[in-house]
Amino acid sequence: MRFDNLEVMKQEAIRVENLVNSPAKLTPLTGNLGFDKEITDKNLYRPQLALAGYVGLFNYNQIQVLGNTEFHYLNSLDEKQRLNAIKTLAQFPVPCVIITNNHQPPPEFLEICIENNIPLFSTPFETTKTFYLLSEYLDDQFAPHVVVHGSFVDVYGVGILFVGRSGIGKSEVALDLIERGHRLVADDIVMLTKKRETILMGTGTSLVQHFMEIRGLGIIDIRQMFGIRAIRFQKRLEIIVELEDWDQQTEYTRTGLDESFTSLMGVEITNIKLPIFSGKNITVIAEVIAINYLLRTYGYNAAKVFSDKLHDVIKKRSAGPTRNHSEQRLISYFQADVE
Amino acid sequence: MIEAEVTVKNRAGLHTRPAAALVKIAAKYKSEIYLVRDKFSINAKSIIGVMTLAAEQGSKLLIKADGNDEAQALQELINLFDAGFGEI
Repeated sequence: MRFDNLEVMKQEAIRVENLVNSPAKLTPLTGNLGFDKEITDKNLYRPQLALAGYVGLFNYNQIQVLGNTEFHYLNSLDEKQRLNAIKTLAQFPVPCVIITNNHQPPPEFLEICIENNIPLFSTPFETTKTFYLLSEYLDDQFAPHVVVHGSFVDVYGVGILFVGRSGIGKSEVALDLIERGHRLVADDIVMLTKKRETILMGTGTSLVQHFMEIRGLGIIDIRQMFGIRAIRFQKRLEIIVELEDWDQQTEYTRTGLDESFTSLMGVEITNIKLPIFSGKNITVIAEVIAINYLLRTYGYNAAKVFSDKLHDVIKKRSAGPTRNHSEQRLISYFQADVE
Repeated sequence: MIEAEVTVKNRAGLHTRPAAALVKIAAKYKSEIYLVRDKFSINAKSIIGVMTLAAEQGSKLLIKADGNDEAQALQELINLFDAGFGEI
């Protein structure tokens, strides 16, 4: 399955209002003034030079953060200079201003902001922490995301996304896994969001949540049926399992020595092609895939260990005369164990 | 691949029953069929997906069909939308 033709969605702008949901504990100092203004840039800016009067290369479309240094500077000025400094900043259409360390802005600062429709917030955090908390939040809000058609399940803590043609049985596999104690993240509509360049986080939609369609049954609600332990809201995507009809022509992995990856929004995700035919228990295989992935993550690669053992044996044999067949038995002497 | 824009005409919008009718038609065809609303693209053979669009009266959707029987599939779906899912 190819994921390069997916429509990548991206938020172009968020409203200033949304900032109060960020973990930076922002308190609006100007009521809901300018709450409908748009933020189009996820970066933050410290307008030190702008306050000093130099506005070349001033990124006024970014959120302006004023910390200790800026306040120390403003306090060092006489009243007229201070007014000028603030006006220099406020003449630009800045989306909003954030004051760190719970600093109280001088009254004229507040007035000028209100005059120019610039929302003002304060945060109890120091500037570095504010940057960190807000950047993390804005990164998430502006993150690219895609919608994929599949079933997303947490199997032993490993996020597995099942994809494949409509009707191949993705939901049924998910249902079977839930029955065995694993947790459903989303069925049918999975939204994947890129986080920190290397991670894809998956979740469902607010409308569908944990509803699921089973062919021949209709719509069921996993949360109501199996309870809270059968679901989760978000999970990191770690493996994509492609269910497909058994095809003589396709080559399937036999050793597992070479891992195959799929690129999704530039993130490499382990990809496993799984042919379906009768008598094959996909659920159990999915559990084994998860456990094997965990083993590899924790440093044990079964395919490699086996391959290394084989190398050793071949090396020994080429060094000396071949030993007789019975010595190859795992147990060289069977004690009596008969009934 | 071919595509066409359609409008939801019936008053109740693309609710459960029309969604079921749509999925039933889409599932008849071998082609890959997608419904797109503002870049939000879903598989037209998935009823949960179609319902996720929550398309109200007047909303515009893009149908994309890709496969050997794409032309018939697209036409039958356009007819369904034009008839307001039999609700007008």
